[in-house]
Amino acid sequence: MSAQEGHPLTGTWGGDWGASATQRNHLTFVMNWDGKNVTGTINPGPDSITLASVFLDVANWTVRFEADAKDAAGKPVHISAEGKLEDISSYHRKITGSWMQGTTRGDFKLTRD
Amino acid sequence: MKRVWFNITVVAFGIALAVSAISAQRSNTATYDSERQVKLQGPVTRIDWVNPRAFLFVDVKDANGTVMNWAVDFGNPLELERDGWKKSSLHIGDVVTVEGSPARSQSKEALAKTVVLTSTGKRLFAPAPARPAAAAPAPTPRWPDGQVRLGPAPGKKGYWGTPSSRVFVENKGAKIPMNDDGLLRDLSDADRVAPFQPWAKALYLNRQRNLLKDDPLGRCLPQGGPRQFQMPNGFQFIEQREIGRILVLLGGGDRNWRAIYTDGRPAVPAAEAVLTYYGTSTGRWDKDTLVVDSAGYSERFWMASGGLPHTEALHLIERFSRPNYDTLKYEVTVDDPRTYTRPWNATWTVQWVPDKEIEEYFCEDNSEHSFIR
Repeated sequence: MSAQEGHPLTGTWGGDWGASATQRNHLTFVMNWDGKNVTGTINPGPDSITLASVFLDVANWTVRFEADAKDAAGKPVHISAEGKLEDISSYHRKITGSWMQGTTRGDFKLTRD
Repeated sequence: MKRVWFNITVVAFGIALAVSAISAQRSNTATYDSERQVKLQGPVTRIDWVNPRAFLFVDVKDANGTVMNWAVDFGNPLELERDGWKKSSLHIGDVVTVEGSPARSQSKEALAKTVVLTSTGKRLFAPAPARPAAAAPAPTPRWPDGQVRLGPAPGKKGYWGTPSSRVFVENKGAKIPMNDDGLLRDLSDADRVAPFQPWAKALYLNRQRNLLKDDPLGRCLPQGGPRQFQMPNGFQFIEQREIGRILVLLGGGDRNWRAIYTDGRPAVPAAEAVLTYYGTSTGRWDKDTLVVDSAGYSERFWMASGGLPHTEALHLIERFSRPNYDTLKYEVTVDDPRTYTRPWNATWTVQWVPDKEIEEYFCEDNSEHSFIR
């Protein structure tokens, strides 16, 4: 598979997050770099969540995501995640790190499709 | 036959940027360590005079008396032939002294800077002296209607061969120390290469620190963008004026071609183009200059050696002019606001190779897994 050699966050990413190894929630991220900001969506479709902010620190290739979603009861819940971009020269590069959704703390892993 | 064994001497050098500009998909920078030098002496046991890279094998005795067989990469045989060398310039059993850069891996390989026949001191496979410049270059060839021809004059052969620069940097006058693969001698010079956005600079530096080992060209992917005019093995224009198209035949890399449409069709905006390695190009003549507008580039290639990044927003304006028969001037404006803080320009010239045709070259023959050892 050829690498995607442009902005390292651009593209579709798949993975999951959860509070434990057995309790996982599917994640799809679609991100795009417009020259000034990275914009994107979590789980595109009827229940999609717009990424409120994406910050890439190129000094150490860490990424911070912020988004506002709704929980199962329809109450607002804030998502905050921070991860490390790994193997940036690979098409299937990864982001792994910590995930906070409301008061639930967990980890996440994304792999570029 | 009495066999003579010699010692191997490895000498560490401070910084050596003089890596030979041998045609390479197997990147010299990634394969050989130019900061070290190896001196090998011994009898030749095998000669592989095979395109795209010629190798000789030498039995070398190390300090412990152990004989090791080294593979010495000494150039592209087609280029060597152009410089007057033949396979028979060297024979099995000849004792040679080789100086060059050893492989970065532990394998017994080296890239030769010099090969000397030990018995006579004659230097083998050295580049031919540069041709003295003609007192007055031949005039620019033209079509009957006066338009500049980008190819040979009627009844002649030739192609565009040697670029004046194999690296791609912004036109600022001062030379930036880097090798022919675009590897900077000093990473702090990165800001002088191009007006990077922060992420692009970080990615560029990451590629530099990795010694360009992830270069897509190393996997024989097409060399889109300006890089196609800096490759070894040259290129040729086929001007199909009757249908409003110019084909650019590329002798290096993956031996591909690119089309420039001169039939008056509008340029395709990057956002609407099908993304490809060579983009979508439309050209028009502005007096004696062919101005080519290209967009629709995928992100699957490096547009230049050295690891300069780009995005799908890449938009190139290329200007081709031919001030005389032997010289093609190439000027390019890079406009990719997602990668660079402003548009920037680079310029180089390419020399005409008269009376020759582009030689056979296939990248796949030069990839890592097809290597001889």
